[in-house]
Amino acid sequence: MLGKLRGRKNGIFTKSHNEDITLIGKSLEDCPLDEDEDAFQGLGEEDEEIDQFNDDTFGSGAVDDDWQEAHERLAELEEKLPAAVNEQTGNGERDEMDLLGDHEENLAESLSKMVIENELEDPAIMRAVQTRPVLQPQPGGLNSSIWDGSEVLRRIRGPLLAQEMPTVSVLEYALPQRPPQGPEDDRDLSERALPRRSTSPIIGSPPVRAVPIGTPPKQMAVPSYNQQILCPKPVHVRPPMPPRYPAPYGERMSPNQLCNVPNSSLLGHPFPPSVPPVLSPLQRAQLLGGAQLQPGRMSPSQFARVPGFVGSPLAAMNPKLLQGRVGQMLPPAPSFRAFFSAPPPATPPPPQQHPPGPGPLVQNLRSQAPMFRADTTHLHPQHRRLLHQRQQQNRNQHRNLNGAGDRGSHRNSHQDHLRKDPYANLMLQREKDWVSKIQMMQLQSTDPYLDDFYYQNYFEKLEKLSAAEEIQGDGPKKERTKLITPQVAKLEHAYKPVQFEGSLGKLTVSSVNNPRKMIDAVVTSRSEDDETREKQVRDKRRKTLVIIEKTYSLLLDVEDYERRYLLSLEEDRPALMDERKHKICSMYDNLRGKLPGQERPSDDHFVQIMCIRKGKRMVARILPFLSTEQAADILMTTARNLPFLIKKDAQDEVLPCLLSPFSHLLYHLPSVTVTSLLQQLMNLPQSAAAPAPSNPHLTTVLQNKFGLSLLLLVLSRGEDLQSSDPAAESMENNQWMQVMFMATRELLRIPQAALAKPVSIPTNLVSLFSRYVDRQKLNLLETKLQLVQGIR
Amino acid sequence: MNYMPGTASLIEDIDKKHLVLLRDGRTLIGFLRSIDQFANLVLHQTVERIHVGKKYGDIPRGIFVVRGENVVLLGEIDLEKESDTPLQQVSIEEILEEQRVEQQTKLENEKIKVQALKDRGLSIPRADTLDEY
Repeated sequence: MLGKLRGRKNGIFTKSHNEDITLIGKSLEDCPLDEDEDAFQGLGEEDEEIDQFNDDTFGSGAVDDDWQEAHERLAELEEKLPAAVNEQTGNGERDEMDLLGDHEENLAESLSKMVIENELEDPAIMRAVQTRPVLQPQPGGLNSSIWDGSEVLRRIRGPLLAQEMPTVSVLEYALPQRPPQGPEDDRDLSERALPRRSTSPIIGSPPVRAVPIGTPPKQMAVPSYNQQILCPKPVHVRPPMPPRYPAPYGERMSPNQLCNVPNSSLLGHPFPPSVPPVLSPLQRAQLLGGAQLQPGRMSPSQFARVPGFVGSPLAAMNPKLLQGRVGQMLPPAPSFRAFFSAPPPATPPPPQQHPPGPGPLVQNLRSQAPMFRADTTHLHPQHRRLLHQRQQQNRNQHRNLNGAGDRGSHRNSHQDHLRKDPYANLMLQREKDWVSKIQMMQLQSTDPYLDDFYYQNYFEKLEKLSAAEEIQGDGPKKERTKLITPQVAKLEHAYKPVQFEGSLGKLTVSSVNNPRKMIDAVVTSRSEDDETREKQVRDKRRKTLVIIEKTYSLLLDVEDYERRYLLSLEEDRPALMDERKHKICSMYDNLRGKLPGQERPSDDHFVQIMCIRKGKRMVARILPFLSTEQAADILMTTARNLPFLIKKDAQDEVLPCLLSPFSHLLYHLPSVTVTSLLQQLMNLPQSAAAPAPSNPHLTTVLQNKFGLSLLLLVLSRGEDLQSSDPAAESMENNQWMQVMFMATRELLRIPQAALAKPVSIPTNLVSLFSRYVDRQKLNLLETKLQLVQGIR
Repeated sequence: MNYMPGTASLIEDIDKKHLVLLRDGRTLIGFLRSIDQFANLVLHQTVERIHVGKKYGDIPRGIFVVRGENVVLLGEIDLEKESDTPLQQVSIEEILEEQRVEQQTKLENEKIKVQALKDRGLSIPRADTLDEY
């Protein structure tokens, strides 16, 4: 009927599925409801088609249908209804019901007066409906599309989307045909009252077939209900009817959930409470009425919209009403009856079933001091009253915690707040689960270490920490809940381009899996002559950078082997080890400039790498993996070229990062190496006899933090070696001593210029120097190098 | 129920009072009622808080639906400690006035700076225009 209604309105007819939706949309523009984007798009799309079969315009609807008649019937209903209600309520002052009247204010009043407590059950009313003559057509006023064709109304079957009971009942009354209502009033009425409707609550918008992925699930009160509501043919929807209220969670119903119940016990609401169990199936059917082809996929907002929508035409005319509606909340089943068993004593006298009826009850509630936050003072008075109500109800209801985690001490206060918070649980548990499900899906990964490195590392650290603490403290084990992310198996998809059988050639379709080459970039190598000096330098640097990057990847892989080793199976382990070794070798080759089968004549390659900050850091990380010889080689090269490196490092100041791996390395080096290292470091002449020229090399070294620290480390190591093996008068020792003499001589010579501050001063240097110099010089050395702590 | 421990999923923050800082510099305080996978937020009983110096003023705004991409950060407000602040609350008019004054002084300073730079032949593009790209 969507199409029908729209057709009527816009003059454009669309071939829509013949869903029968009795919608009471006044007009598209007037619907104050939020709309699906999709609905809008669908709207646009469908507008282009012309529904040739649109009954209302081309078919029988145009001829047979007399909406005016139905309209008149309805108007008369209004007149009669007050009378019927009057019988019940005894309210004499019944105006002519102006349901279709022009004025919103009147409508509110009339509606409020119109609805009675058990109207649907009231046989008198039902009977009255059938015998009702045609209603007087109202001038202007409502868009009569609401009362579109008795066909539409006749087809009111199935779930009613009515939030407003009275609205629905009005519709009912407008029906020309009405089978006599027996004792199954509630059931039938509720069913009939609920029109099958599309998922979109907006008149004229096409039903949404497939819900976009982003829509939260719609709550399903009756999971077992499978029947398609959106079938083209009118279908009697009979929702199963457990007598209890559809509140499976046992928690407080959210306002959303509860406002579906058209029944309201709240003050200010024109629709008095205590509509009986009929509401349960009604509500259920209502819920289902919004169900789509994919149940559970509908957005709760749609869901909320749905009841709201039905109420919209009237609500549109009376925003107050709607507001009141929206603010409703009903207690769950157990207290439902209890709640309403309370009012009956308060409202037995029919006159009190009017809006003023719930008054005594509400007043009771109101008398309990409600607390309003300052920022709620701008609320509509009705809204405020409803807030009151809810607060009271909350106190009476079974309390359940929100999905709150363990917040420790705040929990109690938080619980309190949840109790007092009338708006809590607006987001249903189901919706939370849905969001959480999406979030978990986003965490799916084939290799969490690759995709989520920092998270994994962080939690490993935490776990180690807590494990360590447990071992120490031996206290109660803190259950640290760990997030288990879904593991997804790696699937290799071989992309196969789309092919049609029997066609020549293939489709040239470019997609994300099959990107098309847009630019044909050809690499042309330049000849050496063309390049200028600068370009050469730049190219060289770029090459170095590339080498660094490649080596770094190798390094990362090698560092990862430990973890992989632990995770792998026994058979795979040797293979892993081999891989690792291989990679380490390649790294070393990269560092030193691989020239297979050749000696390594120049340090140039290495020095180039060391000129770049990243290269230095990388070398520091690689060193632990290298064998001693390889690492010693690196160290020697560094020492040899230290002044140059120091000069290049002036800006970065990253060299000190190498100190740690170097010092580790030193402990493994034999005396010979240490000696030659010292020689290199201080640029000492080969023989002691040679005259000592000025030694800028040494100066530079001493003036640099790294250099000085390294020097001291080397000296310290030498001293350790010597002191640990005093008896051995070996070649190495002699050599060492020679070098030491030279070293001390140099050190003495060096003016005490701006010496760098070393990272750490080894303690054994004093004893070291004491071997080689006399006391006076020792003091000098001490002062110069600040070897003694006190001097600083 | 412990929803996704160790993550920044907002599920456990629902129905709690939050302070939300938006990309346009606004500060909203409200009860977080609903979220979705994009961290779009529904704030209830929202109050826009304007801070100027040591003073602040609250403008009640009702219900806010914030698109996730506009949120810079958000954090839960401890209701017990909420009032424990050295800041002084003033009326809305006053704080708006203070804000206006602050903006004005800022603009003037900016102008002076730009002028000084211009005199020296430099020009720095303004940060807010960069933001558009």
